[in-house]
Formats: sequence, structure tokens, C-alpha cells
Amino acid sequence: MQTKALKCKIAGTGAWGSYFENWSALQALLGGADLPEAKLKSPKPGIIPANERRRAPLPVKLAVESSWQATQDAGVEPNTLTCVFVSGLGDTDLTDYMCKTLASEHKELSPTKFHNSVHNAPAGYWTISTGTMSAANSVAGYEESVSLTILEAMIQCETENVPMLLTFYDAPVADILTPVLPNQETFAFSLVIYPHDADVEGKVLTAMVNQQEDASWPALNADSTYLTEMYAQNPAAKVLCVAELLNQPDGQITIPLSSGTSLTLACEG
Amino acid sequence: MKIDIIDYESCSAAGVNLSALRTSLKQHKSGLIKNNLPGSDLDTWIGLVEQINGVDDLGQWQSRNNALAALGYEQGTIRHTVSALISKYGAARIGLVMGSSTSSIDRTEEAYTKLNSDNGLTEAFKQPFVHNPHAPALFAAHLSGIKGPSLTINTACSSSAKVFATGARWLETGIVDAVLVGGVDTLCLSVLHGFNSLQLLSPNPCKPFDQHRDGINLGEASGFAVLQRAGENNNGRGITLAGYGESSDAHHMSHPHPDGLGARLSMTQALKRAALSPESVDYINLHGTSSRANDLIEGKLISELFPASVRCSSTKAWMGHTLGAAGITEAIIAMDTLHTNVIPGSKNLETLDEALDFSIKATDEEKVCQHVMTNSFGFGGNNCTLLFSRAE
Repeated sequence: MQTKALKCKIAGTGAWGSYFENWSALQALLGGADLPEAKLKSPKPGIIPANERRRAPLPVKLAVESSWQATQDAGVEPNTLTCVFVSGLGDTDLTDYMCKTLASEHKELSPTKFHNSVHNAPAGYWTISTGTMSAANSVAGYEESVSLTILEAMIQCETENVPMLLTFYDAPVADILTPVLPNQETFAFSLVIYPHDADVEGKVLTAMVNQQEDASWPALNADSTYLTEMYAQNPAAKVLCVAELLNQPDGQITIPLSSGTSLTLACEG
Repeated sequence: MKIDIIDYESCSAAGVNLSALRTSLKQHKSGLIKNNLPGSDLDTWIGLVEQINGVDDLGQWQSRNNALAALGYEQGTIRHTVSALISKYGAARIGLVMGSSTSSIDRTEEAYTKLNSDNGLTEAFKQPFVHNPHAPALFAAHLSGIKGPSLTINTACSSSAKVFATGARWLETGIVDAVLVGGVDTLCLSVLHGFNSLQLLSPNPCKPFDQHRDGINLGEASGFAVLQRAGENNNGRGITLAGYGESSDAHHMSHPHPDGLGARLSMTQALKRAALSPESVDYINLHGTSSRANDLIEGKLISELFPASVRCSSTKAWMGHTLGAAGITEAIIAMDTLHTNVIPGSKNLETLDEALDFSIKATDEEKVCQHVMTNSFGFGGNNCTLLFSRAE
């Protein structure tokens, strides 16, 4: 069986990082705008009830804020979407908390921190906050987190004929783990996609899997040290090359997918 | 689209391979032992795989989780089957989807007990490919030589059930010609002390669905299955993935929905996708953790959705709740009844919970089944149901 191209429509976008609070602010940075003076610490997604939000870890707040923005941008009820959440690094603050506690004499863990430590905590908070009962996937792909998630979501969108929410997020890594996972930037990005023949406004994204062993991530067009370093170190921020693709009238990029494949993404409209 | 299950293997405390698992099931011989995991004095029972300790030559890949994946991959004919598919289609045309909840956090735990004087990682633990949630698929790609798309699904205890759904969709679009799906989770202090903090561990061997059940036992396991589009290869196993369902509870991070709404949705979706009626299902391998809440909610739901002719059991008293590996472990037990023609009894069940009334028995039943189902429910309210059928 031959591979055919996958197609979907992009109906909404969301974004959050230390120097941008939404997609239009990120678009401005991609276009060359100066960094704002103030660095933001954490979003405060209003959709999570206040008492839950106080206990919610940063990766959860990042993912939920960005997801909410994308659904508002698309004008869609959040609970109608099937979801894929991805983080390349997971919640290393909670990993650090658990490993420190377990290496000590008193090994009692906080039950809330334990259930928040599952990789699907953002998917859990999102589905609980929005009343979403459809499938919510939570995946990891290390350096290929972005390409694998786009592939997984476009396949699910097409084979099950459902609109999808894709959310990419990675938070700064706890000190002890930085020699192996150097990321120090905060980043989240979301897309709402529909089957390509759905009656909604949006650019058409086409994806094609190629056999290719030596694919590498394309250089960003943006001339920004902040964005370039984040693109190199934050696995979720690898989606910035896709953000640039969406920001142009038409275009095409090829990104690494696995040790023997790459993914070509083309955008029209 | 129908998906053939070309091969499968399981590794747990109930048997280092499928053949040993069949013997344990037949003899009703549990692999559970009193907790003796180094560093933990919790009063509970565990499903430990002793042979993991012999896998200590993984170099930069070393972790207990990867050792269990490597041990499982050497069992039966899985490695041979995958190598033959790589020769036939090319390594880039084979996909890989792994499920796990702990990935290799066991190794991160160990690293934190051996930090240097500056509170930093020592050289042996500077393993970027191990200290991240994608470690299971990174390592399985290294083990198998698979070069196609390789994804890790981390949805807690539904992880390695969902790998079948993702694998089936990948095959349907034609991006690959075969998919190796798997699940691996090892015992570690994070899960033992984490579940202890939620007061879910039992000090006794677990008794799923029993009136006197008092909590769960944790276990470790790895499992693999090879999927292809039906009819494209010789299906020696004679089993197809007929349907799957995936849903969310939208209720709570660690408590199931009180009426099991999400679980109901995943079961009805699986039936619909397979175009089967509830009464045509012969056997359901239940999630059945032996927690008070799960078993009550799941048991009630089964009696609402299925007639009494559908035989059910939980097999967790054989190897414990293997978390992210439970999905594939129990999918294999369910589908293997199509080979053995024996439905395993619900081990350790003595008196069914008084609030429940459905077809569950402690004894085995000999039956030539056509359709079998399995449930996996995880933290975050993440549900998955799989349906397997005898190939036509």
C-alpha cells in the first residue's frame, strides 16, 4: 500500500511563552518585533477553577491556556474536539520533587503531586475543565515530538473524520536534569484542525511521509536569538518552523520524523 | 479496516513469556510476592519480574524499564517476526508505538540517590535518551532496528491499550506496512509510594470484585504485538483487531466517574466500530484493579451493557496492576483465549461484591470464543477498550 498525502484545515491557533501571551504576539516576534521588557512567569487559564488552578503545575497551565486560545480562535466548543497533547520533556519539576523525596529518608509523597505527575495531566485538566468526553491522547517524541504529533493528529482527523486539538508544550527543566535536558524556556502552542473537506474557514495543510535518513530541522526565518535558542532547546518549540509556515501565504517545509523518515508539510490558502 | 495481529508476546511476574503465562493461568499460579523492592518497606504485594536483574549490559540505555523491554523482546518469535518484516518492507516502512506510564523514571530515581558532591548527575547517569518520557520507544527502535515513525503514548494505565488504536490508524492511512506496538512499565519507588499516598495499595494479595477487596497490588510487565492490514501477510495467529474505543471521563484526575460515563463510551464505541452487538462478545478481560471504586463502577456498567451470557474476569491477581503495561498484557490474555479456548477465571474472587450482579466466576471456562474484549482505564479519566475477533 502506497502512502497518500494527509490533508486538514487549520481553523484556530493559540500560543503562550515568556514573551508572548497569544498567537498574534508570537506572530509579531516572528516578524521581527522587539522583545517586551517584562518576562512572564505563567499563564492563568481562567477555564481551570481558581482552587484547582493554584495547585496546577506550570505545564498544565501552559497547555490549557494555549488550547483555550486555539478553540476561541476557531470559534468552536472545546468539548467537541478530540485531543493530542505532547511534551518532549514532561514535568521535570514533579520528577525532581518525587526523586528528591524518594532519595530521602521520609518517602511520603503528596497524593496531589503524584496524580499531577502523570504525563497526561494537561490532557486530564483540559478534559475535566471543558467537559470533553472524547479521546484525549498524551504522547512523547523527544526531539521529534512536533512532527510525530502533527502526523498522529492528522491521521486521526482523517481516519475518524473528527476535528482535533493539538497542543505542544514544554517548561524549563529542573536544575539537576539540565546536563541532559538543557531547556530553560517556557513554550506552548496549539492548533485546531478539521478534516480538509469540512465547511470551515482555514488554510489547507498537507503532510507527506518520505523515506529519508538525514533530515534536519530547517533554520527559522526569524532573526531573534530568543526564538532561535528556544527552537534549538525546547522540543515543543520546534513547532515554530510550522508557525512560520502558517504565517506565510504559501510554502513548504521538510522536518525530521524518525531515523528513517521525514515529514513534508505544505500550506496553501 | 480489519487489522491482523501477526504475533504477540508477554513478560510479567506470571510468566517471563507467553508460554509460561499460559501455564500460570492454567495452574492458577500467581506471581505476586510480598514487597521486597530495594528501598521500599511498604506493606503490600508486588508482581516482580526477577529475570530483569540479569539484563545489565545496556550501556547508555540502562534502566530497569529498558531492561524489561529488552527481556520481553527476546521472548518467543517477536524479534524474528519484526526482522522478517524489516527485510520484506524496509525499516522505514515499519512503525513503532510504545505505551508506558513510568518511562524510565526508575533510572532518574537511582540517579538522585547517587548525585556527586555538587548535587549533580554522575557520569553513568548522564543519559538524555533515558531521562525523558519517550525513552520506551527510543529504546525499542534501537532494539528492533525499526526506522519508521516511533511514538510513545503516556496516558497512565490506558497507555498500552491505546497503542493498538494508533497502530491501526497508521496502517489504515498506509504510512507504514506493519507496526510493532508494545507496553512496558517497571516497579519503582515513584509508583509504589505514589499509590500508597492515595491509599490504594493492599497489604494482601488483591481480590478483584470481591466483597472483601482492600486495594491493588502493583506489578511490572512488558508486552509486544505486531499489526498489519488484514490479508497482507500470513496471519498464523488467526486474530484480528476488530474495534477500539477511546474516551475521557471529564471528571477527576485520580477518581473514576461515579457512573462510569467515560468507560461506557469507550466500550460502546469499540462495539460500534467492530459492528458487534453486546451479546456477541464471549469474554471481557476487565480493568478490575481490586480498588473499591474501580471494581464497583466497572462491574455495574458491565451488568447494564452486557447480558449474563458474557463471561468476565480480572486477571490482575496473577501479575498485579502493571500500569502502563496493563493494556497490552490484558489484551494478550484476552486474545490468547482465541488460541487456548479457555477463559481464565477471576483469580482470588471468593464472594462477589454484594452490590454487583454480573457473569464473573473464579473458575475457568472452556469455550471456543469468537469475540473478546478488554478494558483499560487510567488517571486523568483516560479510557480505552479493545475488541479482538477470530480471523475469518
